[in-house]
Amino acid sequence: MSATQSRDSSEKQASIQVARGQGTTRRGFLSLMTKGMVYLSGLLGLRGLISFLVYDSGPTTQTRINLGASSNYPPGTRTLVAEANAILISQEGGVLALSLICPHLGCLVGETPDGFTCPCHGSRFDRSGGLIRGPARQSMVRLEIEVDRDGNLILSMA
Amino acid sequence: MVGLNSIATGLRRTALIPAVFLLLTIILAGWHNNRRPRAIALLPSLTNQPEYCLSCHQDLPEISRSHPFQAFGCVLCHGGERLSLEADLAHRSMRGGRNPSDLTVAQDSCGGSNCHTGEAAQERNHVQRVLTSVQATYAGAIANLRYSFGAQPDLTARMGIFAIRDEHIQTPTGLPGLEAFAPENETNPGIQAFAQNCLNCHLSAEPLPGEETSRLTGCAACHSLTAGDDLDQPLHSLTLKIPYTQCNTCHNRGNYDLRNMHFVPRSDKPQDRLHDYYQPIAQFVRCEWTLDCIDCHTRYEIMGDGDLHSNQREIRYIQCRTCHGTLDELPLTRTITDPEDLALRMSFLNPVIDLGGGDTVLVSSRGEPLWNTRRLADGSYELFGKASGQRFTFRAVKGSACQQNTAEQESRYCHECHAVER
Repeated sequence: MSATQSRDSSEKQASIQVARGQGTTRRGFLSLMTKGMVYLSGLLGLRGLISFLVYDSGPTTQTRINLGASSNYPPGTRTLVAEANAILISQEGGVLALSLICPHLGCLVGETPDGFTCPCHGSRFDRSGGLIRGPARQSMVRLEIEVDRDGNLILSMA
Repeated sequence: MVGLNSIATGLRRTALIPAVFLLLTIILAGWHNNRRPRAIALLPSLTNQPEYCLSCHQDLPEISRSHPFQAFGCVLCHGGERLSLEADLAHRSMRGGRNPSDLTVAQDSCGGSNCHTGEAAQERNHVQRVLTSVQATYAGAIANLRYSFGAQPDLTARMGIFAIRDEHIQTPTGLPGLEAFAPENETNPGIQAFAQNCLNCHLSAEPLPGEETSRLTGCAACHSLTAGDDLDQPLHSLTLKIPYTQCNTCHNRGNYDLRNMHFVPRSDKPQDRLHDYYQPIAQFVRCEWTLDCIDCHTRYEIMGDGDLHSNQREIRYIQCRTCHGTLDELPLTRTITDPEDLALRMSFLNPVIDLGGGDTVLVSSRGEPLWNTRRLADGSYELFGKASGQRFTFRAVKGSACQQNTAEQESRYCHECHAVER
């Protein structure tokens, strides 16, 4: 061992002794820091992973909506289904479901005493959704509706 | 043993550095992610495709009642990358930058079936008609200048701001096409100076600096009200209520000095509408300085009739007699019976008048309804300002004390008695 190596070793021992005198060693401190950073990185990474997995990618279109018992819609009633932008028109012969999205350019039509009017471009429809006046070129879209085995009305958006 | 300890110590030291880098990298990634706006998705009913423009642009007002964002979204008109939250990427493929109605992109932004082109009815092909209008082609001014400087033998237009062809000529003055005006091919210095100094009031031109001339290009030049505004501010509005001040951003700014081909801005500062009217030396009747331009001038006159014309005169046909008739004849009218009548549609879109079936409206010599008018039970007429909503009543000339020569029925003859001194 050379004289220089011997001096380095002595300084190192002295440094360790000083560190021990303060309650921890330099080696222990570095080890603690390394572990801390690895664990913290892991936690942050885990948080990012969870955020990624539970990310809400935005609105999705529901294709089937359970509207509850069909007995809740007696003949003569007109029921707005806001979540589907639709209206249920219950008649003696059955239930008619109309999309309130205007077949012209997609605005939501509003119900009036004599039918429906599009607030954007003025298309008008009768109370059953039939076209009265453009610029729409077709009647309001009829949505598929059925009663399931439990007696619930199921509105199909597709 | 000493050697093994040294190796272990070395490994601990070398593990510390990657740990620091790992932590810093994760913190940086998190910081960068948090700088992005909170994602706000929109699912327009017309496209049914999610877009995230509202993440940054929630504060913009609805552009018009006819274009609600819940139905149209943003991308349908503006283009852009609908899923991006990075501003640069989201805006990279936008049409026309901030103005999707610029005529270079209006066909894609505003056109399309069910929108403003692609219809069988000419009256609904707005973008196609505007592209043929003299406001877009500037064909009249170019033809006049080229004729004046001997570059063409007559006043028939041959060139426009852009090249365009018309396969379906419907009027006697319609042209089959125009070439693009190319100043570099002109030899006369006067025409070159015109190209350099005077091409700033057509629909594709950037306006002259100044609040009086402040306007956008394309459809928005008229339908987005900018007169007197700072164009650097966000503007998200389209309207059918276009006041004369918007027209004045092009039509009432001053004159061109044909000796040196320079624009001379008007020097007066009018304090009232009478003196603000176009061309200080001319005289005008009450209608002209009381009403807004669009109260009388029709969509075909302003936005083109689908044909290419050589000048304004060929497309300007509204006269005093359109509303007032002549000594011999009442003005042309039409009683609304068709639920699809254009008058009903327009009065719905700009409800200054409550028109219905059975109402009688004035019509132009080309059959266009003046949908802001109505004949009253006593035989007089009412007109509602399209921008102001103000109601005016007026009578026909027939049966009045007017002594006008029946052979002289153009507006200029009416001005001889009815013009107002200024």
